[in-house]
Amino acid sequence: MGKNVLLVDDSSTMRKIVGRSLRQAGIEFDNIFEAADGIEALEILEKEKVDIVLSDINMPNMDGISFLREKATRDNMKGIPVLMISTETGDDIIGEAKALGAVGAIKKPFTPDKVNEVLGPLL
Amino acid sequence: MNEKVMNVGQAIIEGTQDVFSTMLMVELEAGEPIEGHGGEVDSNVTSMLGLGKDIRGMLAVHCPEAVAKDITGTFLGMKVEELDEDVKDAIGEIANMIAGNLKIFFQEHDKDVALAIPTSVVGKSFRTSGMFGAQRVAVPFSMNGATFLVELKYMEVI
Repeated sequence: MGKNVLLVDDSSTMRKIVGRSLRQAGIEFDNIFEAADGIEALEILEKEKVDIVLSDINMPNMDGISFLREKATRDNMKGIPVLMISTETGDDIIGEAKALGAVGAIKKPFTPDKVNEVLGPLL
Repeated sequence: MNEKVMNVGQAIIEGTQDVFSTMLMVELEAGEPIEGHGGEVDSNVTSMLGLGKDIRGMLAVHCPEAVAKDITGTFLGMKVEELDEDVKDAIGEIANMIAGNLKIFFQEHDKDVALAIPTSVVGKSFRTSGMFGAQRVAVPFSMNGATFLVELKYMEVI
């Protein structure tokens, strides 16, 4: 059975670039779902089977940290891993994300090789 | 006390070149950093992003129409015909990633910086202005023979 990924970023450009980087890295998903903020991401996670989430941190409406915090309260999505992809690299923010359940982080800008290096072992 | 001297112009050059070489596979040619006034380009697309905490100010990427289309087309791998939402979004994301690299630079100088979400403006005749008393460093870059400008107006919070 194939795997599904959810890309969360307020930039549609960045969602396209992440999707393209996954293909260039040779990582295939059956379905790539997209959300522009944490609220949309939670709505998708309520409806769809998602195996992993790749999420930005700085977003309007509900940012990546608030998304992680809210997701952790919902039993039906607690176990879905979230990998942060962000310009944020500070130990405080990344540390907070990991404390809330994020399994790792990729800094923007990134290469397909970096995506493969970090994401590959998680699949 | 932080004894390291901040070379903001060089940080803009390295941070911008890193974004373009990594995400667009383009090696940018940088001009000399300009401190204070000068170096403005006739911008049709400007993406701005606020900085807060220890460094307050605004990073802006100013692009003439042709450059904005070129950057967006190279970024997305498609031909761009007009200054649409894709262009505003792409230049905004470029500004976001440059600001992310500058945040790391300032962290290396013991300055904690918070980044806002980018805003893009499209038009034919507009100007941007920052805080009174802020320092300004701007760097022109050349991409495929055309010039765009990365500008930082900032103030250190003591």
